[in-house]
Amino acid sequence: MTIEKDPERNEIKFLNQFADFAASRRVLEIGCGDGRLTWRYARSVRHVVGVEIERDDLRVATIDRPSDLADKAVFTNADSTQLPFSKETFDIAILSWSL
Amino acid sequence: MVHALSEIRRVLVRAGVLIDLRPLLEHAPIEVVSAHETRRAGMVDQLPDDRANDAAANRVIAQAGEQNWFVKEREEFFPFNYYWDSPKETQAYAETEWANWFTVDEEVWRNARSMWAVANADARVRIQFKMLIARWRKPA
Repeated sequence: MTIEKDPERNEIKFLNQFADFAASRRVLEIGCGDGRLTWRYARSVRHVVGVEIERDDLRVATIDRPSDLADKAVFTNADSTQLPFSKETFDIAILSWSL
Repeated sequence: MVHALSEIRRVLVRAGVLIDLRPLLEHAPIEVVSAHETRRAGMVDQLPDDRANDAAANRVIAQAGEQNWFVKEREEFFPFNYYWDSPKETQAYAETEWANWFTVDEEVWRNARSMWAVANADARVRIQFKMLIARWRKPA
């Protein structure tokens, strides 16, 4: 089955306008899924942590991660109501299709 | 959901940004699209539970604003399109992946099949979600 998602790239255009991505930013993406959106902005920021509760999606995200992002984008299986991070760790949090 | 917002507030720096990005499915059209025309077959029927989830999300983020956890700076809507090569593929995907979000009346699928059958060879089927994006900021 062939499916094409957002070929117009509206999502990343709007996200770029809204999120103030910059090389110094540490980003938390909640509901990162298979990393589809993560790859589109990860090169613009310092570090991304993708949080996803579905282990199968996380597996895909890890497998699909471009090699140049191996140190920059990491993923973790966690519940958004109990985030395994210290206070004031991130500059930007993205609720990605997950509120 | 309120616990998630509380956790996000905790892990964000002061003046940090929260982006709320999500689909609103209430009026999502199913269309047959070719290079020279777009024809609407019908709309999806959002399930009551999913509609309730949208309302709950709106409520909880509004409450976070009222409590001054975050301050809303900007909000817009934009289209997010999914495309398939045929109505059959669209229906199979929708019934597998989105069964908890919406249903589609058989008449709408019939319309899509008829429109696609007489359309140009480049015709594809599209479902368009209305996306909400909002920027909130944690007070400094």
